[in-house]
This record gives sequence, C-alpha cells and structure tokens, in this order.
Amino acid sequence: MNREQAEQILSKTFCIDKFYDTQWEVIKRLLIGERILLIEKTGFGKSLCFQFTATQLSGTTIIFSPLIALMRDQVNKLNSLGIPVRCINSNQELEENNEIIAEAIAGNIKILYIAPERMENIDWLASTRQMNISMVVIDEAHCISNWGHDFRPAYRRIINLVNLLPISFPVLACTATATLRVEEDIKNQIGNINYTYRGNLLRENFRLFVIKVETEEEKMAWLGKNLNNLPGTGLIYTGTRVNTEIYSRWLKYLGIESKNYSADLDADQRKEVELGLLENRWKCIVSTNALGMGIDKPDIGFIIHTQIPESPIHYYQEIGRAGRNGDKTFIILFYNPNADDDLPIYFIENHKPVITKYYKVIEALKRSRLGENDIIREANLKKTEIRVIKADLIDQSIINEVLDGRSKKYEYRFDAPELNYSAFDEIMQHKQRDFRKIREYIYTYDCRMKYLTDYLGDNLKGKCNKCDNDTNNVKVVDFYEDWKEKIETFQESYYPQLEVKALHTKLQSGFAAAYYGFSNVGKTIHKCKYKNKGDFPDSLLNITIKAFNANFKSTDFDLLLYVPPTESGDLVRNFASKLARELKIKISHSLHKSKPTKPQKIFQSSLMKSENLKGVFIYENQSEINGKKILLIDDIWDSGASMKEIGKYLTSLGAEKIVPLVIAKTVGGDV
Amino acid sequence: MIINEWTYWIAITQLKGWRIEAVNKLVVNIFHEQKSSFEEIFSLERNELSNRYNLNEKECLDIINLKEELPNYSFLAEDLKSQGFEIIPINSPDYSPTLKENLKLKSSPTVIYIKGNRKILMEKSIAIVGSREADDISLEFTDNVAKKASKEFKVIVSGFAKGVDRQALESAMKYTGQSIIVLPQGVLTFGSGYQKYYQQIVNGDVLVLSVFHPKAQWASGLAMARNPIIYALAHEIYVAQSSDSGGTWHGVIDGLRKGREIFVRKPEPNEKNANQLLIQRGAIPVDLHGEIQESKKYIENAIEEKYIFKEHHKTKAVAEPDIVEKIFGILKTGSYTSAEIIQKAQLNWKPGQLTKFLKEQNNVRMSDSTPKRFTIVGEQSETLF
Ligand SMILES: [Zn+2]
Repeated sequence: MNREQAEQILSKTFCIDKFYDTQWEVIKRLLIGERILLIEKTGFGKSLCFQFTATQLSGTTIIFSPLIALMRDQVNKLNSLGIPVRCINSNQELEENNEIIAEAIAGNIKILYIAPERMENIDWLASTRQMNISMVVIDEAHCISNWGHDFRPAYRRIINLVNLLPISFPVLACTATATLRVEEDIKNQIGNINYTYRGNLLRENFRLFVIKVETEEEKMAWLGKNLNNLPGTGLIYTGTRVNTEIYSRWLKYLGIESKNYSADLDADQRKEVELGLLENRWKCIVSTNALGMGIDKPDIGFIIHTQIPESPIHYYQEIGRAGRNGDKTFIILFYNPNADDDLPIYFIENHKPVITKYYKVIEALKRSRLGENDIIREANLKKTEIRVIKADLIDQSIINEVLDGRSKKYEYRFDAPELNYSAFDEIMQHKQRDFRKIREYIYTYDCRMKYLTDYLGDNLKGKCNKCDNDTNNVKVVDFYEDWKEKIETFQESYYPQLEVKALHTKLQSGFAAAYYGFSNVGKTIHKCKYKNKGDFPDSLLNITIKAFNANFKSTDFDLLLYVPPTESGDLVRNFASKLARELKIKISHSLHKSKPTKPQKIFQSSLMKSENLKGVFIYENQSEINGKKILLIDDIWDSGASMKEIGKYLTSLGAEKIVPLVIAKTVGGDV
Repeated sequence: MIINEWTYWIAITQLKGWRIEAVNKLVVNIFHEQKSSFEEIFSLERNELSNRYNLNEKECLDIINLKEELPNYSFLAEDLKSQGFEIIPINSPDYSPTLKENLKLKSSPTVIYIKGNRKILMEKSIAIVGSREADDISLEFTDNVAKKASKEFKVIVSGFAKGVDRQALESAMKYTGQSIIVLPQGVLTFGSGYQKYYQQIVNGDVLVLSVFHPKAQWASGLAMARNPIIYALAHEIYVAQSSDSGGTWHGVIDGLRKGREIFVRKPEPNEKNANQLLIQRGAIPVDLHGEIQESKKYIENAIEEKYIFKEHHKTKAVAEPDIVEKIFGILKTGSYTSAEIIQKAQLNWKPGQLTKFLKEQNNVRMSDSTPKRFTIVGEQSETLF
C-alpha cells in the first residue's frame, strides 16, 4: 500500500484527508512488522498511527493503556466510525468483559483496549492463547521507566511480553513525555526498537505563569478574584486530597461551580465527574493528579497548580491536556516558598519504604507462600507499602507472583539474589535533582516554555513570547487584605467530612470539628491524651458543638453514644457527657468492649485495624437500640475503623441511623 | 538460556502431527547444521524452507501456519516466566544429561518445564517405583532405599502418585535429600502442590518438572506417558512392588528390554505380586535395604522365563507423552472414532491399537454406537490428592 492508497482509505474510514509525514512513516513501518517508539506531544495524533494500522492488519490489535476514561472515549469515537473496538476494564461487569473476550476470539474485534493490570488476570491470559493477535501497542510508555514521573509496576509484564513476541511482530510504544533518559530506558527495556520518532514538544497556545505567594490564603484570594475571568472550564491541581475538598468548598462558598476529584471516589463517581467535565457542568474540577492524562477534552481553558509538582516532567505531563484544540490556555503555578516544598520532598524521600520493611516481607515469604493480606498481617505494614515492596521484589527477581486457582500468591525464589536497596537511592537522588529543576522553573527569568521543553530533551530556538517572563506580565497577589475576612469566615465554618462508603450499615457520613493538623486542635488533644493534662478543654467542646449545629441541627437524635476507650481513660466519656448536656441528647454509657484490644495505632494497615476490633463491641441493653437515631462521638477519626465496627454492630441491633461526630480528623498518619 | 526464545520453543512442541523425533531433528537442523535461529526459520518462505531444511510440503506448511500462532505462545511464555517457571530446551546445558542419554533424539522431550533448583538435574539420581496400593513392606523398602540414596546425595525421582511414589518423596524430605517431582500434567495446573512443597522448593531440595503443555490437566493417559520420563531421569531404578500389569510392570519390562539395570525388591515367599516375575525376566533382586542379593536361582529363573512371558504377554498399550497429549487434545474437542483420531493426530497406529489404548484410559468414555466413538469425561475426572 502506498501513501495515496492509504489516504484514500483514511478519508473513507476516519474522515481525515491526510497523514502527517511522521504518522505515515510510523504506519509504513508497523505494517512491515517493525517496533517503533513514538514520542510526540499531546494533540499530535499518535492514536491515528495505531488505529489506522490496526484496521489494515488481519486480527486484533491489543492496546495497553492505563487510562480508563481515555479508553472509553476512544472506543466511542471509533465505534461511531464503524470500527469494531472494545475495551476491557475492571469497572465493567465480569460478564461484559467475558463477552468482549469471546468476540475477540471469534475475530470480530479490530482493536481491544486493556489496562496493563489485566496481564495478571487468569481469564485474560487464557483467552490470549486463542486470539488472532496482529499488533501490540503500549500507550503512555513512559510508565515503563523507573526514571519517569509515573512508573507503574503493572508495565513490567508488558515488557516481558514484548520481549517474548516474535521479532517481526509490530509493536508501537508511545508517550507524550519522555526525557532523553526515559527514552533510553524504554529502548533498553523493550529491545530491538527499529526506529524512534521524537517530535518537538512546544505547545504554542500555552500561556505559562508562575505566581509566588506567602501563604495558602493568598492562593485562595487570587482564585476567588480571577478564576471566573479565565476562559472556559479547567482544572485545579492541589497535591493532596484534603486540599481538593477545601479548595472545592471554598469556590462553592464563593458561588463558583466546582467539583472535587481524588482517588477516594469510586468508579461510578469518577465517571460522573469526568462526564460533567466534558459537559462543562462546572467552572473547574479540583483534583489530585488522579485525574489527568485520561481526560480527552479538547477545550480545557486553564490548568492551575496550587502545589508545586515533583519535577518539570510531572508538570509538563499534568498541563499536557490543556488546550488540545489550539485555543489560548492559561497554565498557572502557585508557589509558596514557606510551605510548598514540604510535600514533594516528603514524597521524594519516602518514595520507597525503609529497608527493614523489605526484609520483613522477604523473611515472611521465605517462611511461607502468602497472599497479599497474609503479608500485611505477617509483616504488619500498610497495604500501600506492601504494594511498593512487592513490585520491587518482583522486579529484582526475589519473589514471584503466582496464581493458585484464582487467587494471587507470592513465592520467594529459591535462587533469589540479595535485595539491591542502593538501586532505590540512585532513583531518589535523581528525583531530588528533578525537584531542584522545577524550583529553577519557578525562579527563572527566561522563557518558561523553553525551560520545560529543553528539560525534556527538545532544543527550542528562541522563546515562546507568551509566558509571563517573555511578556513582562508577572502576576502578584497584592490584594489579600480585601479577601481576609471572607477567607476567615469560610475557614471557621469549615468541617471535614467523615466518609463512610460501606454497604449494609446504617452508619452515615459525619463530620469532624477540624483537621487534626490544623490550628491547635491536634496539639491540644495530644496533650490531654498522652501528657495527662486533664479533660479536653472547652475550646474543643465549643468547636464540636459548632460543627454539630452547622450540620445536624435539624436531626432529632434519640441517643448519644461514645467509643469506649482503649488507653485514654475517661477523656472521651467526660467529653461526651458534657456534649450530651449541651446538645440535650440522652447519653448512654452502655457501649463496652467485650475484651481488651490493642491500641489501633500499632496496626499499620486498615485490614489489621478492623481485624483487631472484629466482634469486640457490646451493648448492655440491646433492645434499647432498636429504631434509634444515634449520634456517635469520638475524639479522633483516623481510619474510622472503630466507628465503622460500632456502626455495623448497632445496625445489627436495629439502629435506624448512626452519625459519627469527632473533634478531629487526621490526614494520612498525623497521630 | 535465552528467555526471548521461550515462545518458539513452546510453539514447536505444538506442531500438529509431528512426532518428538521430528521436532528434535528440526532443532538439530536449525541450530547445529544450519547454524541458524528460530527467527530465521520463521521468516522463510515455503520454497526456502523446503530447500534449506529439507522439509516436505506438509511440514513447510505446518511451520508457516505456526508462525501465525506465535503471539499466542508469547502470552503463555510470559505467564510462565512471571510465575517463576523455566523452560529448558533440549540443546541447553541445563537439560538433564541422563534424560537425553536414555531417550536419545528419538524420544527426549524437546523442552522440559520446571520450577525450583534446576541444578538437581545434574546429580546422580534414582527412581523408586511401585504400585499405588503398596504393602507396608514395600513402603518400608522405599523408605530404606530413599534414606540410603539421600545419604549418598542421590536425587529421588518421583512420579507423585499414591503409594510408593509418594513414600519415596516423603522419605527424601525426611532425610533432607533432594527430589524431582515428575508431573502427570502441565506445570500451570499443579495448583496447591506448590504450596505443599513450598519450603523444599525454596530451599532448592525439590524440583517440579513436566514434559507436557503447561496448561494440560491431569489425565491417566498423561500419567502413563510420564512413566518413561521417570525411568529416563534416573540413573538407577528400584522396584518396591509391581503387579503383573500396569505402569510399573510395563516400565520395568521396557527398561529391561532397553538393557537397563533394574533392582527389584526380592519378595517374601507368601507375597502376591509380580516382583519375582520381574526378577525372572532379568531384574536384579535386592533385599529390604536395597542391597544386591547373590541369587542361586538365576539359572532356574531363566528356564522359567519362557513360560512366564507367554502368560504375561497381554501387555497394555503404551504411548509416548507427545502422542498421548495429542490424543487427549483431540478428545477434548468432541467425540471421535479411533480412525478419525488417527487421522487428526496423524498417528501411525492401527485403529485397533488406539481403541485398546483408549479403553484403558479411565477418563475416556466409549459410546455404545458402532463404530465406537470416544470422548473425555470432564477435564478433571480424578484428583491427585
Ligand atoms: Zn516564553
């Protein structure tokens, strides 16, 4: 097939007239079974390279992509062109996935999108033996690399697979963000790459700004004043989940439509927010980086970071989705030198658990073959830590992930090498270097676009002439005083939510009077609990009453219960008694523990926390609970395990409604 | 071993209608005569294949068709690698020299699939074989021989069946010797077996080995086909207890025919088994501790042999592993007559021979119709544990 013939098919099938030269080059090479690495910016049209090729090959093309939302959009788009494309993912019912697999085996599907994690699925692996597979595509290929900004262990098996594919089998790896180092790493890992295409990364419609501030409140003020003047709808990235909630509620407080988004949302909620974004339902989505590359929205008008990312490549990736339609788009980074370095430095320094935790897992697996939950129990580590450790140990050929029936187990390899922990130090130094680079981006007086693209391996001639430095349009926040009162009123009326997602419980989501780490609340609680400074002071009582009045004033509670203590004596009992008197709700002291439990904080994982409490709570006059609306009091909400367990128990006794109310909610391991 | 080649190795064992010998000859041809590679042979056109590799039309076509399936085998190879299995091909220095020596090019499995300490394949080894329903004295014998072997750093090869096989394995562990478990199924279907021998595998004392397709389910046909592999993996063979038919009997008879030294426990006068018959057929009698007995009765035995052979010539049909696997692969897809199966699998068997073989398989069902049709009774009609 020559280019002319191909473009005829292109216009018939895809309603596009011409290929770019690079697109055609890539397609030509794939059609003769080459392996290609394609590094091009967002909006270049990378997908067309594999989509067109797939339609010309006999059999099914498999596309590994980590972005479910993006997969969904692509599937819809291609189906509307009449190309049989499907997507298998964990958000779909098993039945639907199985049907799709059966269709693929029957040869009725041209393109099959799947998440990299699917390579660990037994049904998927069984089905791959029967499909007629014509090409493999690795989307977001930078996820292969430990040196990239978004390394994903699930890509390891894709690398294994590609290395086992026949040499003349077409493979395409693509990414929009790879430094030269990452490019080198991808090439080493995939092996036998015939050709690499690297386009320029300049985004001409970007208006890059950096706004330096002295406090978090100045950021709030700037957004309050200017957000509505930015074009269209957009994204605000905040760095932490807590801040997505605070900023989103701040904007709503000002009457600006916004929605928060983080990994806390379940699949349906995520879908809903993503759809709302496409439909411009809100002025902005306030999000952690859980939302991002996956959004296929061409007209994002602005992307604002209230928190400095870990590196220029993180930043370039996160802003990458803006303005794909070529319209002017505003890219703003806030920076508070007094506080904003802490979070990225924390992530960089803790990107790997300490070495002793690795050895705990290794020793446990030397003794027996275990599943993930068994490892959590044996090693007493957090699930997130276990996942990192497991992935590293697999990567270093120290353990295997095996299937025992349908469940995953982990085995120590008899010929395992010693753990190479110093490999992680090298990555950490690399990350520290990268962080210094994004700080240089803040302080540079030169073109910001040139700074970013040079960092990525481009060599931009001249400047973009659109960033704040080039146009001499440096923004500052010099109007904070006007906003001070509004922000303070907002902060005083702000109560963190206690989210309960479990089914089969009458326990509802409740509120905390404050975050543990904010103002003096945490310190005050800590002094009373651990330094014997006596009862919780009235200041804590007052903010809790305020939280109650703000959220539950209209509910008639029948009964006030409190979480029976483990180690803090009568503090919570006395606090609950005072509160009951003030709120005029009948208190009951009949909720007890049937046996002593260990302090929750010695358990690292929520799994073990909830196992520590299983069946522990007991209520004396059980019939008293039936049909009651109960306010449940505690001092601190950490994992919420105690309150959830009590909620379950009281539900079983016939409670109509249980609402948790605490003094403080912790944010990721405060206590 | 180059992991990148696993795909090709698995693929060539699946060439339809090819006997082991033909596959092995192809390997020799590619690597030793042509000094070529899998990559090259799979890139050749039909006429180049037939010229350079001296293959007939069908064989060329088989290889060209197999090329289409290579990506599928890549997924299987990746699964194996990821779960910690290894593939050892026949031309690898890690391949068991004992196996190659005993089975030659004609029937050495082209690849073996393993998990565990592959160095065990290089050690001196013994197999202790015998009935699934062995008497206590046979189990005692097994324990004695395993103890002695472990002391001498010999590896015990076990077929992982009940009775003598299992006793041999347990004893090897008891005396912290090393052992090879030879599976009557694929390595990916051994399931909780890995759990049971986990500690030994981690310590490098147990190697799990299979010569079948990694996903093959346990089947009595595969169990039969595995027996020659056990015998061939062992330097020495000890028989604890044999009846006058069945796997042990045929294995020993076959071994004797091939001129191997086989040691049989000399039975007590009142034992009802065929140990004595095996001794009369040329096996070497040993005592309860596995020590060779000076037998005064050698000549007597030789005289009796003719008579005994007559009585026991009604031997069972035995098939090689690759053939058995093929037959079962076909049976899984439907019900067929012997003639149809022979045609599909391209066997050089007579229909009667296959019918006899199929009747002996406990997980194969025969129809009442004429001609008889055969099919599989559920994939896992019997469990190992
Ligand atoms: Zn610029």
